[in-house]
Amino acid sequence: MIGEISHLLSLSAVLLLTLVLIFNLFFSFNKSHPNQLTLSMRLFNHSCWLVFISFGIYVYLAISDDFSIAYIASHSNSQLPIFYKITSIWSAHEGSMFLWIVFLIAWSYLFLNSLNKNHPLKKLTLLMLSLIILGFLLFLLLTSNPFERILPFGAIEGADINPVLQDPALAIHPPMLYLGYVGFVISFSFITAYLLNGNFELQWEQDIKNWSLVAWIFLTIGITLGSWWAYYELGWGGYWFWDPVENVALMPWLAATAFMHSLFASSKSDVLKTWTMFLGILIFALSLFGAFIVRSGIIDSVHSFANDPERGLYLLSFSGSITLLALTIFAYRLPALNSSKLVVSGSKESFLSMNNILMITSIFSIFLGVTYPLIIESIYGEKVSIGPPYYNTIFSPLILIAAAFIMISIDALWQRSMPLRTLFITTVPPTLLSLLSIYIVWRLTGIFSILAFIGILSGLLIIFSYLFKIIKNLSKKKYINKGSAVAHIGLGLLFFAVSMNSILSYEKNLNIAPGQTISVNESVQEFHFKDIRVLKASNHDVISAEVSLLHDGREISLNPQKRKYATRGQITSESAIHASVLKDTYLTIGDQLENGSWTFSLKINYFIKWIWLSAALMVFGMLLTIFKKKAL
Amino acid sequence: MNQSLRFLIIILPILILIFFTRVLLIDEDTQLATFEAKNFPTFELDDLNGRPVQSESLGGIKLINVWASWCITCLVEHPFLTELSENNVGIIGLNYKDSDTKANAWLQKHGNPYLFSIYDPRGDLAFDLGVTGAPESYLLINNKVVGHIQGEMNQIKWENIFLPLIQKAQHR
Repeated sequence: MIGEISHLLSLSAVLLLTLVLIFNLFFSFNKSHPNQLTLSMRLFNHSCWLVFISFGIYVYLAISDDFSIAYIASHSNSQLPIFYKITSIWSAHEGSMFLWIVFLIAWSYLFLNSLNKNHPLKKLTLLMLSLIILGFLLFLLLTSNPFERILPFGAIEGADINPVLQDPALAIHPPMLYLGYVGFVISFSFITAYLLNGNFELQWEQDIKNWSLVAWIFLTIGITLGSWWAYYELGWGGYWFWDPVENVALMPWLAATAFMHSLFASSKSDVLKTWTMFLGILIFALSLFGAFIVRSGIIDSVHSFANDPERGLYLLSFSGSITLLALTIFAYRLPALNSSKLVVSGSKESFLSMNNILMITSIFSIFLGVTYPLIIESIYGEKVSIGPPYYNTIFSPLILIAAAFIMISIDALWQRSMPLRTLFITTVPPTLLSLLSIYIVWRLTGIFSILAFIGILSGLLIIFSYLFKIIKNLSKKKYINKGSAVAHIGLGLLFFAVSMNSILSYEKNLNIAPGQTISVNESVQEFHFKDIRVLKASNHDVISAEVSLLHDGREISLNPQKRKYATRGQITSESAIHASVLKDTYLTIGDQLENGSWTFSLKINYFIKWIWLSAALMVFGMLLTIFKKKAL
Repeated sequence: MNQSLRFLIIILPILILIFFTRVLLIDEDTQLATFEAKNFPTFELDDLNGRPVQSESLGGIKLINVWASWCITCLVEHPFLTELSENNVGIIGLNYKDSDTKANAWLQKHGNPYLFSIYDPRGDLAFDLGVTGAPESYLLINNKVVGHIQGEMNQIKWENIFLPLIQKAQHR
């Protein structure tokens, strides 16, 4: 009964949103009545609340183990802690789509209600947002209904959440990612509204700047948490796999990053406005593309939900129409938008437009990497896979160029060309220092890898040039853009850490019996397998090994585990990790062999912590930008 | 310049849309396609433990699963294959374009649902069989290949495609 109320509330929201659209589309182009917007906003707000309450009830149903609801029955279990009963809602397609829509509505609700009542773009933005929300609500209710009942009798017990998803990082990874993805619906709708409106004197950048910054932060945190989860929980021993679904999250992130940079420039001067608008539309279009790739099942991946062509076609046609609508309006207005001003070469704007071009190139390369296997398959009927080698080769030159531009542009000025002397002073010291550091890395490790060295060089160029800049400005008591400096140093650190990780990390497979001690290499002098025990936990059995290592003169004890889950019979490996500043000791237990010994996989991963730190710095930098007192 | 840019901004997304619609529709067609039974190709290969594979071991009803340690989707279907093997379905692995150390390590780490795995590092047998990539599964009834699935094996594909074929064979 309560389930039906929840279902009904969502259906009523569809009705109200339809009313908003009909009401405005049929009556707006004539002289519109002053109360029309007030009424539309009221209808809109009510429909938002209906969905919020509907979702609230759904959460209650999940907590109270209502297994007569098919979705809850197949993804939750009465034995689960309440926290995982709630997170089980977004562990599969229907529920996660519901959450996605709730976030879409939450962003739209907050944004529209924060806009001034008389804002000239309010009505058109409201219409765009209502259209998008309506399309996705219909998608949810028609093709992926989370409210469906098992009739006439419900299940007695739920089928349980997939154990690899029972992890705090994973529980918050999807919500963060979705908050990021859908947050860009605001820039998308607002820019489309601006273009439709046709009054190009309006200033629109300030209205969406902070909204987009916050969405960017969520997107960054979401991607990092996913990477963190793959590393710590999944036992893959890596943090990024160029998996198609990781790629479709990276594309909107790159577009959003370019958009933020471009937005700063276009709020300063007129020149990059068209770029900014195009990027603002592109981010949400890429988010929709991501939703399509994940939910249509056309690409097999660890992330993809069940394959259903009907869902794929609906998503494709709806997302496609929305994107085409926005792009058509953009193309139609393009001649009127072109600024008469030319970009001064060597000015800050010129470097930012280079940045846009680089970002678009990266996005296009990833897009090609994701679609190329599909293209080949549809033409030749062959399956090919595109993996890390493709992306590494494509990205190393791109990041080096990007790093060089970041370094050069550090002292660039708005609308003015940079003197050659300044250029020389800003670029030579960081370049020399970076090259020297690479030489030291080469001598110390004895490893020579062009791709990794390009990565290290790019990272160090950025870090050193910002450090020089900070020192210089502090000594002269000049203003520093702290947010930008912190975020860029984070980016440099990311390039550096990823490259160092790729050349230094290694893996050893060991066979060893309980009680035995072996020596692995000069660094891991002792590997002592003390004991192995079988334990019982609430919903799984645990095989737990006790291992102590003598690693670089330090004693480390590790407890890698294997778990067998009762309800699904699934076996998962819980890696034991000892993290120090420079490296992680990552131990996974395998199977028992016939002679009684066990297999272990020992991985030594370098600079992992630094990767998380770099993401944290980027987020922190963006936060500093949001809370900066001085308006840009 | 401006005209062609405007044209491009609209045409490019349309082309992408058409392409993906096509991919979606083709996917549906291939799943419905019927498969023509053929003999299992002859081969001389070892299993992952270095023992030569006897052709008698392929008799009866067997599921041939093409896998590799580099294949991420193989990890996705792995729990389902384990479930099948626990229900006494004979699964033979065809380890495809992989190295035996990596493959054995993979099996030790994730568990081994296979009776044994044919080691095919160059993909010779896979070529004769018509493998396009990993994972893929073939249904073998008395040395005849009667069914073929590309991509991840799961409950739905098993019940809708392979199980009817097995029931048909047992009926005869």
